[in-house]
Amino acid sequence: MEHVGLKARMAVVGATLFAFYAVAAVVVMGAFGWPLWLVLLGSVAFVGVQYKVGKWMALRSVGAEDLPADRYPGIHDRVESLSRDMGIEKPRLMVARMGVPNAFAVGRKGAGTVVVSQELLRTLDADEVEGVLAHELAHIRNRDVVMMVLGQGIASIVAIVAQWAVLLTGDNDIADFFLALVVGQITQLLVMVFVLAISRYREYVADRDAAREIGSGEPLARALEKISRGAERSRESAVDAQVNALCIFGEERGLARLFASHPPVEKRIERLRE
Amino acid sequence: MVDVRTLLAAVLGVVLGVVLVAAPDAVIRVQTAGRLPSDRGGEYGTDSTVPTRWRRLVQGAGVVLVAGGLYFGYTLV
Repeated sequence: MEHVGLKARMAVVGATLFAFYAVAAVVVMGAFGWPLWLVLLGSVAFVGVQYKVGKWMALRSVGAEDLPADRYPGIHDRVESLSRDMGIEKPRLMVARMGVPNAFAVGRKGAGTVVVSQELLRTLDADEVEGVLAHELAHIRNRDVVMMVLGQGIASIVAIVAQWAVLLTGDNDIADFFLALVVGQITQLLVMVFVLAISRYREYVADRDAAREIGSGEPLARALEKISRGAERSRESAVDAQVNALCIFGEERGLARLFASHPPVEKRIERLRE
Repeated sequence: MVDVRTLLAAVLGVVLGVVLVAAPDAVIRVQTAGRLPSDRGGEYGTDSTVPTRWRRLVQGAGVVLVAGGLYFGYTLV
């Protein structure tokens, strides 16, 4: 059985999110008299819009363009081969100038897009780029993007319902409006703790899948190491303040750690080399 | 008798405000996760880095929340 740890964690987080959502749905049905089908339809529409707008915004915000097949035939061939091995359709490949080495995936199985930065292609060797691409393809195959959209959708719905519950049960004075706003935000923070915890674990799973597909975790580990060392160097040298602002590295602590969507790079490298 | 909702507004407002001031990156990450790829900005393998302007905006909202919480606390005295 594949990804037993992930499935067990997803069962726990999924049940928790469902419980939050169920309470919110019951409150909406009770307070507004909406039938169940309307609550479900509204929820699907809400999450669907977030998914579509999010994908569009992500590509637009970095100015992504299609990765020309004539200039990068090796990358296209490798992604095609990896996609076949992973049992997914080859995603759309795009390139963007992001100022730092980076790559990310958006979309879902069958309609995925992988964006790589020009800086990443310049910084990494071919096998390291392959490791990064395999990791992003694993995200698409494992439906990680969809899972995050769904998680955020549920968190937002629960937060909105909590806000309205406070408003509708109050006297409509200024303290009630203030309390509603605060309760909504706190509710969203609480629900997102679960979503982000599973997101961190899914990064490890994507690393492991990538390592299995390309036969070794070493290329991806080297890629992460190279990028993190580059970030450290640029921070230490303080050559370019703007780049430095984008390269805040190092161990996050406390709340930042709790709300991180990625595990620490050092741990990922360690696991990839185990 | 103390109005429980006003007391809650005071306490939770200050708590949330302090969180916004102390950890603006975490708050922004919570708001953007799932809406934008969490690894879209910054270096590969890390969470997106947050623009300073956004950070200041969230911290400003945190200050407003703390002030609001203190005000509602004051009205109870």
